[in-house]
Amino acid sequence: MSVVDSPSAPPAEQPPAEAPTGGRARRQRRSATSGGFAPLVLTLPALLLLAGLLGYPLVRMAVLSFQSLGLRQLFGNLPPDNVGFDNYVKIFTDRTFYEVVARTVAFTVVSVVLTVVLGLGVALLMRRVAPSVRIAMIVAMMFVWAMPQLVATQTFRWLVDSDFGVLNYLIDLLPGVDFANHSWFADPWQGWTVITTIVVWAGIPFIAITLNAGLTQVPKELLEAAVVDGASVWQALLKVTLPILKPLLIIVTTLSVIWNFGLFTQVWVVRNGRPEEEYQVLATWSYSTAFNNNNYGLGSAIAVVTVLLLLSVMAFYMRQMFKIGDVD
Amino acid sequence: MVATTPQTAVRKRRRPQRESDTPTVGRSRAATVAANTFGVLFAIVMFFPVYWVINTSFKPAPEILQFEPTFFPSTFTLDNFKSAFNAPFFQQNLINGVLITCGAVLGALVVGFLAALAIARFRFYGRKAIILVVLSVQMVPFIAILIPLFLMLQGANLTNSLIGVTLVYIVLILPYTVWTLRGFIQAIPRELDEAALIDGASRFQVFWKIILPLTGPGLVATSVYGFIQAWNEFIIINTLNDQANQNLMAWLLQNQTSRGTFWGPLMAGSILTALPVVIFFLIVQRNIATGLTAGAVKG
Repeated sequence: MSVVDSPSAPPAEQPPAEAPTGGRARRQRRSATSGGFAPLVLTLPALLLLAGLLGYPLVRMAVLSFQSLGLRQLFGNLPPDNVGFDNYVKIFTDRTFYEVVARTVAFTVVSVVLTVVLGLGVALLMRRVAPSVRIAMIVAMMFVWAMPQLVATQTFRWLVDSDFGVLNYLIDLLPGVDFANHSWFADPWQGWTVITTIVVWAGIPFIAITLNAGLTQVPKELLEAAVVDGASVWQALLKVTLPILKPLLIIVTTLSVIWNFGLFTQVWVVRNGRPEEEYQVLATWSYSTAFNNNNYGLGSAIAVVTVLLLLSVMAFYMRQMFKIGDVD
Repeated sequence: MVATTPQTAVRKRRRPQRESDTPTVGRSRAATVAANTFGVLFAIVMFFPVYWVINTSFKPAPEILQFEPTFFPSTFTLDNFKSAFNAPFFQQNLINGVLITCGAVLGALVVGFLAALAIARFRFYGRKAIILVVLSVQMVPFIAILIPLFLMLQGANLTNSLIGVTLVYIVLILPYTVWTLRGFIQAIPRELDEAALIDGASRFQVFWKIILPLTGPGLVATSVYGFIQAWNEFIIINTLNDQANQNLMAWLLQNQTSRGTFWGPLMAGSILTALPVVIFFLIVQRNIATGLTAGAVKG
């Protein structure tokens, strides 16, 4: 835990490494010079807000997951019934749950792999193209990156619209293919292809631009030395470039996993706010259970399971952040 | 290196060619052409949806609804923008969006700056715990706590009000605000504070005359990012409030249901909604990327 301290250690007058035992005395000395209650007063508003609108709801969510709360309780002003583990039993004995989890995990794996691999490819490509082409690539990516999720999703809905979408028209141009009035969401596989495309398309810019920045850190001499020693381009990539990029790759992959695991907007919007069973992922399932079916207890239980499933990834991300802070 | 042998002469001739295209290892001319072609294709594919939104939004209505699309509007018209602007709730939701977003950014900035100051400049009991909390809550998917949040705010009569959702948005952007401002404050040398203190300045003066002005650019970057996050949010507000109390982003969602979708006004509305975000984003892009990966490039 002491790693947390080092990035924020005062620059000059304190030695950067501090023995855990010396911490207390030092802290007292410092607080004498830095105004006793001041830090507490300064952090109080932030802590109150976080506790009230984030901490308390989290606790309430956990409590709700052991209760039954529906319209009857809400409108009758009745207290929610305690049902023990009923909600969890219901989830874990429901075949839908396993399908939804499998679907969420499958989507996360596919979309993250695609985004990271394509992003890395684009980053490498950016180092090889002419400057004018590179600028065109960056400009295009900036617009994509800046686009709000909802706007991007609405745009793709229009692109794949069954009657007047440009995608059907373009595919229809191919000889022997009839795509007029083709609906992309009748078949869940095609629907998921569209959803994955939206997510990957929107995710590439962040990864490509971040990794491209990382690639500038790879010393040219190292690559040249590798080539002189007889390494192929492929070997130079695997043995020189990727190891140097590794910390960045880990961070962007972890972030993508966290983001894509919580997939909501794209599914919600392309299915008009009422996703069919084949389109449910954990986040939409929890939301529909609570707000479309008014079963707030069961919805909370699903949310708890979702957060628990994400927890290991989040813990991994935080450890990486602290590690980097240590290096800093 | 003395260049006299034929070998070095050859190498010298080949060198400029290689240097001119890229800084990496040797490659043929064909590969360079292929790379440039891929690059251009990639840029076109990525940009196509953006282009299509713009193209659609300037087309007259009948031209939008035909199977064979036109790749440029036959006549440029602003009708779609007009009908989006005059659509039910658009102006109301635009005003709401501005109020909510500015309120949230201002609130998060004040509260977040104070907390960042404490974390960056003081050592106190529980400091590490606060950093841990700030970092970890950033990861909690907000949809997960939407259910208790909805019930809580409903109990406090804060659903269907701009105040309730503004408070939620403050919390939404607070962790990032604290974390980035902490970095900006730490970048200011502590010696400056101490010199001022020795010269007889009070703690408040140090804050007001030294830290605050020097954090200026950081405050701008942080608030712009907060603006983008709050402006883009629509799930929470769509759950908490009804149509009269929603923001512009949620307006885009409402537009899609009854009697099919009016693509022209929807695309025009999308442009109007995305415009402030796109502009702001292009200004602070660099900061966002570094904020998310925080120093991982060093190695």
